[in-house]
Amino acid sequence: MKLSKNFTNPLAANNPVIVQILGICSALAVTVKLEPALVMGLSVTFVTAFSNLVMSLMRNGVPSRIRIIVQLVVIATLVIVVDQFLRAYMYDVSKQLSVYVGLIITNCIVMGRVEAFALGNKPWDSFVDGVANGLGYAFILVLVAFLRELFGSGTLFGFDVLARFGYVNNSLMLFPPMALIIIGCIIWVHRSINKDLQEK
Amino acid sequence: MAINKNSNAYIIIYTVVMVTIVGALLAFLATSLKPMQDANVLNEQKSSIMKAFGEADASFDEVVTMGRLSAGEFAVVADDAAVAEVFAMLGNRKALSEATDNLPIFKMEKDGVTKYVLPIVGKGLWGDIWGYVALQQTEGNVVITGIVMDHAGETPGLGAEIATLKVQQMFEGKALYDAEGAFAVRMQKGGAQNEHQVDAITGGTKTCDGVNAMLETSIGKYESFLRATEAVAEECCCGECCEEGNVELNNEEE
Repeated sequence: MKLSKNFTNPLAANNPVIVQILGICSALAVTVKLEPALVMGLSVTFVTAFSNLVMSLMRNGVPSRIRIIVQLVVIATLVIVVDQFLRAYMYDVSKQLSVYVGLIITNCIVMGRVEAFALGNKPWDSFVDGVANGLGYAFILVLVAFLRELFGSGTLFGFDVLARFGYVNNSLMLFPPMALIIIGCIIWVHRSINKDLQEK
Repeated sequence: MAINKNSNAYIIIYTVVMVTIVGALLAFLATSLKPMQDANVLNEQKSSIMKAFGEADASFDEVVTMGRLSAGEFAVVADDAAVAEVFAMLGNRKALSEATDNLPIFKMEKDGVTKYVLPIVGKGLWGDIWGYVALQQTEGNVVITGIVMDHAGETPGLGAEIATLKVQQMFEGKALYDAEGAFAVRMQKGGAQNEHQVDAITGGTKTCDGVNAMLETSIGKYESFLRATEAVAEECCCGECCEEGNVELNNEEE
């Protein structure tokens, strides 16, 4: 019961992007097209899951004075592992994501979950929490990318969708501020549904 | 006796052990994946060159003659070490942009038509841009038959569009030099004004400026060669081709 709540919470009610407002920077950068957004979401999910798992396994030995440094080393190592594997086995995708894979290290969600959850919970719970938070992030990324690619380029995953209806692409959607505005709108909708999130 | 986890000794030992383990792990991973990564890079270089030639399905090793241009002469590169050196240079954009001699060049002859592919490098808005351009000599001019471009971090949907087929196809058939002999191919903001220009990308003006500079500088290094052989091509009409052909053949045999 607790485990399933752990899993569903970050997907909606406590979504890292639209409730905790973490990881916004990469949400602006990689959401112009669906494909990189999806791969980025999955990469972050991998990193949050395994950094949570590793840190949870190490939690009893980590000196609390240097725990942030230890977290950073673990996260950076995992990101480099992802990057190296992408370069060796999924070269095209790694080219598309270019520098953004490296920037997962700086994604606040990863360190936030390690600090807030993994250091105080058992490995399996932490792993689930990491997966769920990564997916919560990926979901918002894909949603924003869906809207931006559809109305900005008239395509979805590179296939023409709107062009055949005579739609003129709105290149405003391709600029980073538009991602911020879309995220703002998602937060608005989300909060009007979940009234308990509204500040009094 | 419980260990004091906040003592300096514990922290230092903990850090040293952690860094050693992580360092060893990453070094092992990097070394063991390196051959595959290098193979990916080499494959990509070859397939980009073939795409520029417009022969994406053909095998690079079978149809392309690799060469270097030293002092305006096409010198065939054939032995493994020299080939590796050329590919290493293609992967090193800084070296490529600084090179003035021994420039890499690729030649393909098909159906009596000779095409050359040159590497091009430049700067976009956010980072490097690079690619390969295929050229064919015509009477009094040099025509682009194909181009592939890629980028390190141009804005997706705007400058990054230079990596799409849609933009690259616009360059096909453009003659490099105008009537005065000046380099005239460029991406023009507001739309192509003459037969040498192509439409720039709306919202990607800085990247397009980078493409213009890249084409002019990179192709400029080969200009004397391209123009010299262009003259040869004209002489051919006067019946001196056979002699010229023999000379080239001899060069290749060495």
